[in-house]
Amino acid sequence: MRITTSRSTRTAGALVVPLMLSAVLLVAAIFLGVVDLPAKDILAVLIGGGSDDADLIIGTIRIPRIVTGMLAGAHFAVAGLLLQAITRNPLADPTILGISQGATLTVAIFLLFTVYGASADAHTLYSLPLRWLPLVACVGGMSTGFLVFSLAMRNRLSVLRLTLSGIAIGATLHALAMGLVAGWGSARFEIVMQWLSGSLYARSWEHVIFLLPFTVAAAIALPLLHRSIDMLRFEEDVARSFGLSYRLHFSLVLFTACGLAASAVGTVGPLIFVGLVVPHLAHFLAGRHFGMVMPLTVVLGASLVTGADLVGRLLGQAEEIPIGVITALAGAPALLILLRRRS
Amino acid sequence: MTPRGRCIAAILLAVSGAALIGFAALLVGAKPMSAEAAIRALFAPDQGVDGIIVWTLRIPRSIAAFLAGASLAVAGLLLQVITRNPLAAPDLTGVSAGAVLLIVFTFIVFPAVSSVFYPFIGMTGGLFAVAMTIWAARNGRAPPLHLALSGITVSLFLNAMTAYILIRGAPQSPSVLFWLSGGFQGRSWPQVSYMLPWIAIGIGAALASHRVIGLLALGDEAAAGMGLNTARWKLLLLLCAAALVAGVTPVAGPIAFIGLTVPHLVRLLRPADAVSAILLNASFGGAILLAADALARSVAAPREIPVSIFTALIGGPVFLYLVQRRQPLPGGRSAR
Repeated sequence: MRITTSRSTRTAGALVVPLMLSAVLLVAAIFLGVVDLPAKDILAVLIGGGSDDADLIIGTIRIPRIVTGMLAGAHFAVAGLLLQAITRNPLADPTILGISQGATLTVAIFLLFTVYGASADAHTLYSLPLRWLPLVACVGGMSTGFLVFSLAMRNRLSVLRLTLSGIAIGATLHALAMGLVAGWGSARFEIVMQWLSGSLYARSWEHVIFLLPFTVAAAIALPLLHRSIDMLRFEEDVARSFGLSYRLHFSLVLFTACGLAASAVGTVGPLIFVGLVVPHLAHFLAGRHFGMVMPLTVVLGASLVTGADLVGRLLGQAEEIPIGVITALAGAPALLILLRRRS
Repeated sequence: MTPRGRCIAAILLAVSGAALIGFAALLVGAKPMSAEAAIRALFAPDQGVDGIIVWTLRIPRSIAAFLAGASLAVAGLLLQVITRNPLAAPDLTGVSAGAVLLIVFTFIVFPAVSSVFYPFIGMTGGLFAVAMTIWAARNGRAPPLHLALSGITVSLFLNAMTAYILIRGAPQSPSVLFWLSGGFQGRSWPQVSYMLPWIAIGIGAALASHRVIGLLALGDEAAAGMGLNTARWKLLLLLCAAALVAGVTPVAGPIAFIGLTVPHLVRLLRPADAVSAILLNASFGGAILLAADALARSVAAPREIPVSIFTALIGGPVFLYLVQRRQPLPGGRSAR
């Protein structure tokens, strides 16, 4: 289960190709955009210098946006991987377990109280207290995650029942959120819809700074939890027989996953499919080399979101296509083919 | 009481409950009405404003809600029987998403197409989506969770395409968004008569093939052992389910949770046979959606709230309770 077991060409290839792909995507995402900047200007900015225009576009718009996207993508993908591992459920994903919907509901409540409570005519995205959205969504997502899993833990639910509970809670919370928004007026409906379809539009260093502590904490926690994650893949009784304190470790891993997912939902909105598809893709590419799954998941998650954002920016030009749409369009066929092929 | 008698009693209860809710729904809404005024308007339809409110707004609307609920519940039952999967429902196999996608596409790209064709278009989309789901689940032989995963994947994919079309086709989008949030606001007799043939065909065909449904519920091998051509009958029942969803969707938009929850609720009553299962589903689905619609238009009157919120608020907790019970999930092959 360790990376050191084999350094065959296939293992190397499995990681190198996605890494190169993500590097290419990164460069493309910096160099391509709605505003055509000469490559010379961009290079000048990157080494410190360049014209003010280029510096503004690259330094304060494109790069923070790309970094936010990569972090969020990695968060979603790793959260999906962890949830799938500990619930032994190929369906587990922040959206299917209700975490995203919990975040949506708290965002809707928050917007209702802050915006509508304060001034009834504020209806542009700019006048909203966007700075607080990540935190609010994060709280909502985490509490929903705990609600679903405390039900599961208390009643020792099976995988199927856990998934069903997640779907039921998610749908109920989503309905509540939509109800609040709909009962509230169509101008704000669009704002929440926009947030719901996931976007990196106008994401800045502030968002990176919000995400970073979660990323760092997870990066420290995951190697420590590595062994328990491997054991949590087994049935509870088997895992216990290895001497694992099942509930404690389950809760720890779950906590990590919820934190990752909720923080990412908070900053970029619920990106459907990244958490669901990327781990499957990583398993597929890694084959027998289980040690490669986690690094592959991180790399693929980051590049999927960066790539989707790039495509959305280029295809939609000034009116961007939300990343959530692109990730779903790209991710779903991949997942369907994997499902069909996996025996 | 015999099982059959109990089922008949339950059906009567649900239908009379629906009638009661329907009457109560006459009284509430943007313009509250006293019971006497409602009765007077009911028996003398030409008497001014109250008569118009009762006969052209509230009654047809309640009937539309009842019919939609009945057909969605039966569609859910059929899908669960065909796939032998407790998670199958119009919203979890892609049927709804497929119908919505093609209807939205037609509405935005070919606005000249008459809405008479929308059920056909929706049915095509729904069948296409189910075909995709079943293909991905290795022609339906995969375990239930696998099938649910591919159904959800197909739904999310189709929803993303709908979102893309809505973003590109900006001018018409608001009216589509209104329809997409689901509900019965402003639906009247034309919409009822528009839905009726599809629902009659769907439920009628399901009732006519009640023996097959009973056999399929025993399992594929058992059904085949009884001399049933399972592939052909499954396709036929799938067509029924798609017709039911396709009849409802152009009128009411996608309505969540009825198709998933009601069949589970009905199984608690242990229907004696397939006929009573279908009728129970139809009557309970109708009554629940009727109640949800009455709430949707009276809670925040004069403003309307999308009915899906109430179906989810009723359906979600019920479903959660069913899931939490320690008994095996009905209808599942391996509800581990």
